[in-house]
Amino acid sequence: MHKEKAEPITFRVQRYNPENGGKPHFQEFIVPSSKGMTVLDGLIYIKENLDSTIAFRTSCRMAICGSCGMLINNYPHLACHTQIEEFHSNRLTIKPLPNFPIIKDLVVDLAPFFEIHKSIKPYILRDDLEEMENPSTEYAQSHRALESFLQFTYCIKCGICVSACPTSASDKQFHGPQALAQCYRYCADGRDDGEPDRFPVVGTDHGVWHCHLAGACSESCPKGVDPALAIQLLKRRMVSRTLRLGKKEPPASTLPPPVESKPKLPFPEFTVKEG
Amino acid sequence: MRYTYLWLMQLVTGVLIAVLLGIHMVIQHLEDILRFLGFNLNDPASWQSMMERSREVIWAGIYIALLAVVLYHALNGLRNVILELTPSARTERAITWTIVAFGVIVFAWASYVPIALLSR
Repeated sequence: MHKEKAEPITFRVQRYNPENGGKPHFQEFIVPSSKGMTVLDGLIYIKENLDSTIAFRTSCRMAICGSCGMLINNYPHLACHTQIEEFHSNRLTIKPLPNFPIIKDLVVDLAPFFEIHKSIKPYILRDDLEEMENPSTEYAQSHRALESFLQFTYCIKCGICVSACPTSASDKQFHGPQALAQCYRYCADGRDDGEPDRFPVVGTDHGVWHCHLAGACSESCPKGVDPALAIQLLKRRMVSRTLRLGKKEPPASTLPPPVESKPKLPFPEFTVKEG
Repeated sequence: MRYTYLWLMQLVTGVLIAVLLGIHMVIQHLEDILRFLGFNLNDPASWQSMMERSREVIWAGIYIALLAVVLYHALNGLRNVILELTPSARTERAITWTIVAFGVIVFAWASYVPIALLSR
């Protein structure tokens, strides 16, 4: 494919290695750009041709894995999902995502982020443990029920919403929009009975009640998810449950498998089994 | 669910402030509009009118209720702002109890005025 040559772009990249001490500083690299080139392409060019010590995360290059979140011209983006020409500038300033500790250069420590995510139990929880562990059949779910939380399932856990959140910036214990939105995603799922497990986790001073509704999370999400909406819906859900208002949706009913359908596939032999 | 109630109370007190402060503002400061609507309060901001109102239980009740909801709304909001900047649970507890004590003292002190006027 013919690539139209454009003028070189100056990448102003924040460099910092906490192990070596010192302070974060900027280093400039001149990168030849071409039409359609992404910021991630530019960073890969730098690593391959100019300075192999520069550190950044990347994997899928198609905005699916959520690895390459970074602050580009003071706004959080996925580097693979952001073309250089979007900025209409020949100078880009690239910094690591704010509100996270820096490991090196553009790589931030996402471990605390995933710890909070794990704390809200982001999976289907059911009262009947046996059925949860060994589901006997399918659970019926209407299109309407699915659409009530579908957009929140598109979260790729890139951390961009947390880096954009002003509450996360000032309150280091705040759960952040990602975990709270995922909490709503599972609570709103008709197959789930996990509200009693999740509400005590998020219903704290540093949880759902601390969201200021700035909306920066929804504005910055590269997948178009609206975590601010999920947090408001979660608040409404928690108040309804506390005051015993509204009707709790009945759990998804189970359906016998269609007669024509094939029987459930057995676990393949190569699957690692515990014990 | 304690935090859910605290947050819900913040919303409820916000609405109550709008209602109670609205009553105060209309009666005290919108006399001309009330007169236009057919209610003649006869100079409600004068000392005489205020002293007459202070002897009515309903007015004492409105002002004590306004004091209570304003104190809750303001101090709980202040607590939320401070907690955002405090890193430890121990500091949080100290701040919470300091604010509760401050609120109780201010409420007892300030509600003394309408109660004293009512019993004159």
